[in-house]
Amino acid sequence: MLLEVHDLQKSFGGVTAVAGATFSVAEGSITALIGPNGAGKTTVFNLASGFLRADRGAVTFAGERIERWRGDAIARAGLVRAFQAPRVLARMTVIENMMLAGKNQPGERLGAAWFTPRRVARREAAIRKRALELIEVIRLSSLVGALAGTLSGGQRKLLELGRALMVEPRMILLDEPMAGVAPILAEQLLEHIQELRAKRGITVLVIEHDMDVVMSISDQIIVMDEGCVIAEGRPEEIQRSERVIEAYLGRLALAGASA
Amino acid sequence: MGLFNPAFWTFVAAIAGIYAIMALGLYVQFSLAGLPNFGHVAFMAVAAYTMAILVVRYATPLLLAATAGIAASVCLAFIMGLPALRLRSDYLAIATVAGSEIIRYLALNLPDFTGGPIGSIGLLGPGDIATYNHDWQAFLDKAKGVIEPLFGRIASRDLAMAVVVWAAAFALIFIGWVLERSPWGRVLKAIREDETAAMAVGKNIVAFKMQALVLGAILGGLAGLLLAWEIGVFNPDDYQPTLTFYAYLILILGGMNRIWAIPLGSVLFSLLYTGTRFLNFYPLSLFDSGSRAFLRLFLVGLLLVAFMAFRPEGLLGNRHQLLLEK
Repeated sequence: MLLEVHDLQKSFGGVTAVAGATFSVAEGSITALIGPNGAGKTTVFNLASGFLRADRGAVTFAGERIERWRGDAIARAGLVRAFQAPRVLARMTVIENMMLAGKNQPGERLGAAWFTPRRVARREAAIRKRALELIEVIRLSSLVGALAGTLSGGQRKLLELGRALMVEPRMILLDEPMAGVAPILAEQLLEHIQELRAKRGITVLVIEHDMDVVMSISDQIIVMDEGCVIAEGRPEEIQRSERVIEAYLGRLALAGASA
Repeated sequence: MGLFNPAFWTFVAAIAGIYAIMALGLYVQFSLAGLPNFGHVAFMAVAAYTMAILVVRYATPLLLAATAGIAASVCLAFIMGLPALRLRSDYLAIATVAGSEIIRYLALNLPDFTGGPIGSIGLLGPGDIATYNHDWQAFLDKAKGVIEPLFGRIASRDLAMAVVVWAAAFALIFIGWVLERSPWGRVLKAIREDETAAMAVGKNIVAFKMQALVLGAILGGLAGLLLAWEIGVFNPDDYQPTLTFYAYLILILGGMNRIWAIPLGSVLFSLLYTGTRFLNFYPLSLFDSGSRAFLRLFLVGLLLVAFMAFRPEGLLGNRHQLLLEK
């Protein structure tokens, strides 16, 4: 198991967002994390990626306990996340957005630009090359020099995905990659997600609401409701699970009654 | 002092160069890393006081005292940054503005240590007049000897100062420009744009922000030393929060994210600030000179508002870039 989450708990004031969630993600799988709104999915992402600190519980990534690590250290260790609303750097160009994320950059040390310019330039050239290759993969080549703030919502999602790949992740966390993306780009994104594993061997954990997408791409599905994991299994098992149907339909019935 | 007195304008040129270095420090922190430092003046004050106290009380050689002054600014940056940089950027704004006022009030209220309200002149206690810039004046006299063949009769200590200061300003801006374009600068810009995104791709944002804060403190400290040497005596009132806002105004005038616009901004600001003293004609002559001095502050404020309203990108900035949504 590449990622193991054990008895994870997080409250905000009086509201318990995650109430002892336990699940694991197999290396090389595409796993979907689903559940009604407010189930605690994004909070789990924030806890696993070090953007929030858990009140209790353990997160193990590639055999190391990471629940107390800072977010940047977790990213460098190979667990990289994307956000629900893509966070591109608006006033930097597409290529700058990509190159920023390159690993092991000697030029990031203050003074390196002055004292070891050749080493910095060599690494910079390698990172630029890799960035351009990935930009081609995500089909933004015509926008290499464009400021990221001029991109459409879907293009931003692609850029964020490409940027995450620059970090050379072993596992990637995607928070609703399909939400708000035009159909043509959505198809392209879906392809990319499948290629992450097929071509790069990257494990994917994805939060997604579109059930067609979830059922078609994932090997494993984790279902959360009210901060707990209520089911875990292959797509066909989840489709038949009464507990899952109840969690979804129960909410729908309530929503219908209150409307 | 007349409008056409070269000695006056030489003095203005020297001050403008010092302001350029001061604004460069703020540029590294605010324009590059997005750190809202509203207490930049504190770095200047701490460096100047440390230097003057060491020179006057302990007869420390000037270079050593100056180094200690800058080290003191760096310490202050750590004291303000260590708690505040981990929090949202608003807290840094509060910490810096409060820190700078604490420094000023300490200087006012510890007369045995700082000379109190009368400032550097009282460093030796009542009855003794203290000076700290003999060595600097001697250095300027030497520098004056070097520039005399170039400038002839108008060569003066102030002119030597202006040359030294502007040479330093351009050298430092060049260093800053190289850093800005390096991968280090790219990380800082990313932190300015969205620090969550920078963290998500594996950048230790607190460490980078601290580097920017310290670098800005070094530049602020240097500007503080140069200003102290140029004006000869100083007191706590010279380190009012307004000085920090002059640095912001310089950045805004030239263009917030244009490092080479800093010299333009500081020259323009200095011209406006000192030039307004010549607004002594009718109908402004209806006001007495004291009221006209306030008029000057009023005009500087008006200009700041006008720039923010009509040309927020500054003279050399890029409006298109400024208006992009995050």
